[in-house]
Amino acid sequence: MSELSPSPLVLVADDDPDILDLVRYRLERSGYEVATARDGLEAVRLAGELAPSLAVLDVMMPSLNGFEVTRRLREDPATREIPVILLTARAQESDVQEGFDAGADDYIRKPFSPRELSARVQAVLGRR
Amino acid sequence: MLELLGISVLALAALSAVFLVALVLKRSRLAREEQRRETLEERVRPFALALVDGEAVELPELSTEERAMLAEAIGRLSRNLTGDARGRIGRYFAGTSAYAAEIAALRGRRVWRRATAAYRLGDMACPEAVPELLRALEDRDADVRAAAARSLGRLGRPEAAEPLVRVLVDGTVPRALAFRAVLDLGPAALRALRGLARADDPDERAEAAELLGWLGDAADDALLIEAVGDPSAEVRAKAAGALGRLASADGAEALTEALGDRIYFVRLQAARALGQVGERAAVPRLLRQAREDRFEAARAAAQAVARVDPAALLDAAAEPDAGPHLHEAADLLRV
Repeated sequence: MSELSPSPLVLVADDDPDILDLVRYRLERSGYEVATARDGLEAVRLAGELAPSLAVLDVMMPSLNGFEVTRRLREDPATREIPVILLTARAQESDVQEGFDAGADDYIRKPFSPRELSARVQAVLGRR
Repeated sequence: MLELLGISVLALAALSAVFLVALVLKRSRLAREEQRRETLEERVRPFALALVDGEAVELPELSTEERAMLAEAIGRLSRNLTGDARGRIGRYFAGTSAYAAEIAALRGRRVWRRATAAYRLGDMACPEAVPELLRALEDRDADVRAAAARSLGRLGRPEAAEPLVRVLVDGTVPRALAFRAVLDLGPAALRALRGLARADDPDERAEAAELLGWLGDAADDALLIEAVGDPSAEVRAKAAGALGRLASADGAEALTEALGDRIYFVRLQAARALGQVGERAAVPRLLRQAREDRFEAARAAAQAVARVDPAALLDAAAEPDAGPHLHEAADLLRV
């Protein structure tokens, strides 16, 4: 009997339940397992506990913003290699550079296209 | 006398008790209503998610209330989405009773209902609603006009661009909202903006120039370079800012020329833009402006040099006649 390889786990963090549901729905349909966090601290904790294959982080979150979460992931040897995609509103586009400086691999602007999100996740995972 | 006082106290106590009971009943009714809505939403949410994601969904038999809740959930989810998801949402709503009800409400008498309808029609993503929303842009109530502007931006139809720029100029919709709505139109607004950049009204030309800086591309360089020579200083300043935002190398000559403009805020924008363009040939003129111009224009010039040629800035700041702006920019560079 052949052993099936497990689906990659994606950690999604956003304080907006609608966005969390939309991202989770699309990624699950694309064959990923999804864990969700409602704020930055929970995202850091889950990243340490679950060692996801990738993290999709909203920039504006309570307790820790997406940049800070990315920095903390990069500082911890256990989470350093987790690729990060930032979700950013149009008004925050000037902050995109800050996201890359913090160690993010890619960013997606909100409002977003679910298909594009799925394609970006696939592309970032493929690069690693 | 004492008896009268006693009766009054009793009456007040009874009234308070009745009031308290009424409050408790109202609160519990609202809580029940909220719980019922949550249960309804929980039931329809998976269908809403599937529909906005583009799944072929077999909808079960839904009550009128559930259909309304489904429409509300789809509308709310759609605010976060772009691309083909919006098209699917629009196709779902087109011709439904929920869409017809909002169109009817937009023509209604109650202001809050018109404003809500104008807002919801943007979430429903039906391009058929554009003519009604354009009419609502002239509504006598400011909230209705603002909601219509926001929804027109969300619908992304090119015919909304000119009317949105007009309400931006005449102030009938708050500037931030109208500006954002045009940005939301994206490339669909470009054709109208290029036309408006040559409008008779200088305010329209100025807004069009600024918006082209956000939405335009290299194809707009010539138009914006022409606008840097406009008779209106506002247009010249906005066009200079737009060339900087587009990092237009072709615009460098016109921007360097604009450093000699007689209006200081044009010189300010030209200096900033040269910094964004990275025009090294303009450094001597920028250094002179940093030493001699008014506060804001001089400061912008010093910061532009710091961006384009840091070594030249540090050399200039070391000279005895450097002045405060070159010193400030050099200090920032060293931080």
